[in-house]
This record gives sequence, structure tokens and C-alpha cells, in this order.
Amino acid sequence: MKYFRLIVRNVARNPLRSLLTSLVTIVLVFVVTMVWSVLWLLDLVTAERSENFTAMVAERWSVPSRMPYAYAGPVSRGAARGPDDVVPKDSMTWQFYVGTLDPEKLTRENLVFAIACEPEKIETMMDGLNDLPADQQNQLHEDIAKLKANRRGIILGHNHLRAINKQVGERFKLTGMSISKGLDLEFEIVGAFPAGRYDTMAAFNRDYYVDSMDAYPRTHNGQKHPWSERNLSLMLLRVKDSQDFTRVAGQLERSPELTSPAVRCETMSSGISAMLEPYRDLIWGVRWLLAPACLATILLVIANAISISVRERRRELAVLKVLGFWPYQVLILVLGESLLLGIGAGFISAGLTYAGINWGLGGVSFPVGFLDRFFVPPGALWWGPAVGGVAALLGSLLPAWTARNIKAAEVFAKVA
Amino acid sequence: MVLNLLAVAAALLVLLVGIGRVPLGYNLRNLTIRWKTTVMTALAFTAVIALLTVMMAFVNGMTRLTEETGQPGNVMVLSDGATDEILSNLTIGDLSEIENQPGVLRAGGRPMASRETYLVATQSVDGHLARRYLQVRGVEDPQLTAFVHGLDLLPGGRWFSDAGVQDGAAKDRFAADSTSAQPSLIQAVIGEGVARELARGRTAEQLVGAKNRQRLDVGDTFTLRDRTWLIVGILNSGGMTFNSEIWAKRSLVASLFGKDTYTTLVLRTEDAEAAQKLKDFLKDYKKAAVSPHLETDYYKNLSETSAQFSWAIGFLAIVMSIGGVFGVMNTMFAAVSQRIGDIGVLRILGFARWQILVSFLLESLVIALVGGLLGCALGSLSNGWTATSIVGGHGGGKSVVLQLIVDAPVIATGILLTLTMGLIGGLLPSLAAMRLKPLDAMK
Repeated sequence: MKYFRLIVRNVARNPLRSLLTSLVTIVLVFVVTMVWSVLWLLDLVTAERSENFTAMVAERWSVPSRMPYAYAGPVSRGAARGPDDVVPKDSMTWQFYVGTLDPEKLTRENLVFAIACEPEKIETMMDGLNDLPADQQNQLHEDIAKLKANRRGIILGHNHLRAINKQVGERFKLTGMSISKGLDLEFEIVGAFPAGRYDTMAAFNRDYYVDSMDAYPRTHNGQKHPWSERNLSLMLLRVKDSQDFTRVAGQLERSPELTSPAVRCETMSSGISAMLEPYRDLIWGVRWLLAPACLATILLVIANAISISVRERRRELAVLKVLGFWPYQVLILVLGESLLLGIGAGFISAGLTYAGINWGLGGVSFPVGFLDRFFVPPGALWWGPAVGGVAALLGSLLPAWTARNIKAAEVFAKVA
Repeated sequence: MVLNLLAVAAALLVLLVGIGRVPLGYNLRNLTIRWKTTVMTALAFTAVIALLTVMMAFVNGMTRLTEETGQPGNVMVLSDGATDEILSNLTIGDLSEIENQPGVLRAGGRPMASRETYLVATQSVDGHLARRYLQVRGVEDPQLTAFVHGLDLLPGGRWFSDAGVQDGAAKDRFAADSTSAQPSLIQAVIGEGVARELARGRTAEQLVGAKNRQRLDVGDTFTLRDRTWLIVGILNSGGMTFNSEIWAKRSLVASLFGKDTYTTLVLRTEDAEAAQKLKDFLKDYKKAAVSPHLETDYYKNLSETSAQFSWAIGFLAIVMSIGGVFGVMNTMFAAVSQRIGDIGVLRILGFARWQILVSFLLESLVIALVGGLLGCALGSLSNGWTATSIVGGHGGGKSVVLQLIVDAPVIATGILLTLTMGLIGGLLPSLAAMRLKPLDAMK
């Protein structure tokens, strides 16, 4: 304990240097924490599950996927035809809808990308919505009940709510764009998705979409909507485990009912990985250039600060040796000072980042693929100190070794 | 603007050294005597600036890509309401009427109009599960399309034939078109970027016999949609989004991917002014519901992603610069505290307070400049690297292979940033040095 107090006193002796070194560490650990938070989320969403698989079925050869709505039946059964075939535990249809709040002013904020689906499946099929905290789960449950009861209801992500500046209970109109051209829909906001992964998502009742598609010819000289024949964008299937997934994927891809167009069945994580593929080099750069450069900078700054400190305290370290300190004790003393600064600053940085981003800002918006908002995971509370500590340890090894090897006789000879 | 700012900074530096009579030699000697501290501080700058140079080069490449794609005289026609080519749906009846409108250039009686079907195809890689997206553009007449888009082929290539296919056996007789009744190879012309992408993951055996180790080349094949595609030409499209595309016969693309309609009609007019007139005319066109865009504007609108990345890089630059500032501040405070006696001597020798200030500031700037220049040099190595990314905006987007570009503004920004860090980081310690009284300092 005495030894630790000595370390603390030494750190406090030059408050300016300790403060500046800590500030560098705090700033750069902040960058590393942010970077790793993004990478952590990407790794999480692309990690394969071992059970309760979500499989994604979409058109095999081109994007965006456009399957006939008639596929919904066979796909939901996993194209099972015999008693030995595997039938998925649950399924969900997705029909994409794109609309704008203001057709005269096409901006990102005005565009709403929504899925038409079976309301009750939002809770059971969409990843991350069935394991929410109790209060959020109850709220979502209530919102879904309202969506089932109100054909024109819609549940919006937080980004959309902000963009259209409306509250739950208010109404708005979307003018159909692109694949949804001619399908102008009026909605009543019945709820909001929990903040996070679904901030850019909007979901409404599939019946409303199908009805508006059916009504299209009445207002367009009897012509069908260009996408009426193939408006099923994708389907989600829930299967027990990887073995069942493999079998269902095989059944679907071999099914004679699903050949025009052919379908592809893949795990959700595999689908997400493919969506993130164009960002491959960017993610590589963040992982292998940005984070290491920050670590190198912390290391250099700490090494520099400790080197200066050792150089300035040669006489004092020599006195310690004369007083009976062993070389290893001097080494530990210098390393201890550095570690105290690194771990302390790392913890402060990670703690502030965690609290500031998650509680203060409600996540950081940075769209990569379909992901929009990033939060700092609780793990950052140990990454921060670990990063600061490791950088401090590596940076102070050489100065600490120099301090260990100081020869009292030489130092005092120079003084004399 | 960055270059101008850098010129101003350089002029200020020269002015300070020129009129200040500062003991520059003394400062430089101090830097070399305490070389370990100098090197470590400079290296911290190197890491920060090198990283920022690479990131700026990435955004630069992305911005150039969207700015340089598109011909000023071209009008791109999509179906009404379509925010992106991929979501457009044009019927043949619409096209015939529109491409014969006044304003569209004609050659040999034909309108200079390119009918295209653009789609994103999925390709299986490394077996069944992994896949990637490839941009495929089906065109009717590749030469006409290339003319309209201002593109040509790299030497050694040719455009695909009218049939767009050739017999597998004819692959070795590459120069001749095949008339086989059972064509098995789809002829394709591809961009250099996608040629590199498709070459990823080639085995050592494949590389031994490869004509080009960096990318696929004319005569090479790849598999897409369970068919073998033969590369007959490489597009000379560096710096444009077409660099990431595969072009093939439209009828084949339509049948293979189930996309029977056209997505895009690109009309060539005399110049930008004529293009604007045609666009305005088509905006109020009643016979078909279409959405006309100046081609240059369409691609510029895809720069929203680069604006996003610029913002992120700006934020990172500020945060990392703060780290750099504290780092150099630490070094300079230590330098001042170690040289209090020297400062007293300098003052007694007649150096004014402000000259002491400038002297220490210059020392800080030299460390920053040396580190920053090294960082710029290191970062410059990324010039020419290729990277995949998405460019997009206003509801559209494209997966592209872009080239990192380190140019004068990027280097200038790096140097300006390093000088700013050096200046801010050195200011407080220099002020502390300036405020020392000669007699106190000599004690």
C-alpha cells in the first residue's frame, strides 16, 4: 500500500505533465472505443447463431429481390412436400414500400422506407425485438396490437419520427416512389420502434398494402401496377438449428414451385454480411489502420512523458537505490506510474464515452448499410482501461528499464 | 483554399524567422540533442497525419468518382418517381418516342440514345453461402452506349458481338465471332475495378497461368447466374462508376435476371445547355411518365455518402488533433522546464520576450512539421490503392470500386493540420517561457 501511495504521489508531483498525458490518453481511447463499438456491432450482427436461426429467403440472382406473392405459402412451409421434410417454426413476409412526404422535394429526410408485413410477426420474427427490457417489450406489444386493429397504422423508427416531426397518434401521407409509384398511402402513427437497430425502419399492415395494390388499376385505366406480379421482397423463416436450416435451404432451392424466379435461402447473418461486403475495405481500414494508429499515438505520447520524467528524476532514482530499493522495485515504480495514468485515463475515457453516447446522445448516427445508430457496449468499460493500460505498459517499458539500470555512483559523480 | 491557407502559413513562418532574429540554430541543436523526445513526439504526429492522409485520399477518390462520371451533354431518363436506375421501369413504347425528340443528337440517321437495363446481380463466392453484389448493365449496342457515355476500351479488347454470346470452343479462337447454335459463353465488357474484384480469391494455380495477376483480363472468364461469362474487353473507365460495371447484351441480361423492361435511357445532346433544354422539355412530357436528370447531376447526387465520410473524417481529425496538441504540449513544457537557465541567458544576451516566444513556437512547429511531412509521405503510399465502397444519396446508391487519390490539396491539408497542432500545442509552453524573468531564470 505504501508503494502504491508512493506511485500516486509521484504521479501527482508534476500535475501538468500527468494531466496532459492523461488527456491524450482520454482523447485517443475515446476514438478507439468508438471504433470498437462499431466493429463490435458489425461482428455481432454477422455472427452465426447456433440455434433459433433466422433464415432469409429472397430472389436468388438479382437485387432488389422481387418474388411473386404466391411464393409466400410454399416458402412459409419451407417448401416441405414429404413427411420427412423440415417445416419452419415461424415465418414473416416483407414487402418493401418507398414513399416521400413531399414529392416536390426529394431529400433523404423526406423519404420513408417501410415494410408491409403481418403485424404480429414483428415481435416474434425480427431480431432484437423479442428480448427487449420489460417496459419496452410491453410498449411494443401494445403498439403491435394497435397496428393489428388499425389497417392504416404504422410503427416508425426514431429517425423517421424526427424527420417528419410527428408524434405517435398523428397522421401523415406518403406519396409512393420508385417501386411504389402510384401507391399513395395515408397512415396513422400507432407506435415507435425501440431506439437503436430499427431507427430507420417503418412497418405497416400488409393488408393495407395488398388492398392498395389491388385498387391501383381502378385509377390507372385498368392497368396493373408494374410491381403487382412480383411484390414479395423477402421472407424470414425461423428454424430450430443449423441442421434444420441446411435442410430447409435445400428444400427451398430445389422446390419446383420456386423456380421463376429462383430463390436463395441464407442465414440472417450471412445476408447481412453480404450487404456489408461493399464496406469491406472501409471496415478493414477502421479495424487495422485507424485503431492501431490511435494505439500507436497513445503509446508514443506515454513513452515520451515517462522518458522525460525518468530523465528529470535520475538523481531521485539514484537516491532510492542508495536507500536500498532494488532495481526491480525502481522498475515497478516507473511502470506503476505509467499504468496508473493509462488505466485511470482509459477508464475515465470509456466511462465518459459510454455515458455520453448512450445516455446523453442516445447513440451516434453513422449509417453503414442498413445499420444506422451505434451504441457503446458495456464491454467498453473494460476495453478503455485495458487499452490505456497496455499502451502505458508498452510505452513505459524502455524508460522503466533505463530507470532500473541507473547507477547511483555515476549519477552522483556527475553531480559532484 | 487549403493551398492558399498553407501558403499564408508558410509566409508567416518565413516572416517570423526573417524578422525575429530568433536563435533558430540554438533551437534546432536542442531538438537534435534531445533527439529521443523529438523523434517520439514527431512520430505521434506522423501516425495522426498518415492516417488522416489515407482517410482524406479515400474521400477524395469517392468525390472524384461521382464528380467525373457523366457527360455534360447527356440526359438520363428514368421512369417517373424512380430515385435510382435500379428501381426504374421504362417501357419500349416510351423509349422510341423520347429518343426521337428534337435536341437528341443523331448520327447516320440513328438517335444517339443508349437503351440500358441496369441491375445488381448476386454472385456466389467461396462456395454456396458467401456472395457479393455485381452491377450488370445490359446494353443494345455497346459501341453506341460507349460513345454516349464517352468511354472506350483498353487496348487488346473488343466490344461484344450482336449475339452477345460465343461457343465455348471458340474461346481459344478469341478473335473470331462464333456462330455456333449452342452458345455457352456470355461475352462481357467489364470495368477495371470489377475486374480486380472478380480476381480476388484466385488460387495460386490460377495465378500461374493468369495474363494479369492484378485483375481479370481479356480472355478470362467468370461465373455468374450459373453461366460462364467471357471477358472480351476492359472498359477504359478509371475514375467513373462504370469502372465497377459488367456490360453484356441486354436481351441476355433481361432473360437471365428476369428484368424485361429497360431501366435507363441516356440521350446525348449537343452540350450542357441543350441537355438542360431537353431535360426541361421531358419534365413536362405528357405521353409517358418519366423522370429526366442531367447525367452529371445524377452522379453528383450520389456524393451524399462522401459528404457523410467527410464529416466523420473531420470529426476524427479534430479529436486526434487534440491528442496531438496535448502530446506536443507535454514535450514543449518539458523542454521549457529543462532550459529555464538557457532562457535566462538568452534574455540577458538581449533577446526580447517575443523572440523567446517565437523561438519556442518555432521549435514546436519544426517537430510538428517533420512529423507531419513524414506522415504525409507515409499516407501518400496509399495513392492508387483501390477500395470498395458505396456511393449514394437521395434514395439511390451504387457499390463501387474507387481509387484513393492523394493530391496537392490532401497533402496541403495534412501539412496545415500538423502546423496548426504544432502552433496550438506550442503556444502555452512558449508563453510560459516568454514570461520567465531573466534573474529568476538564472537562479
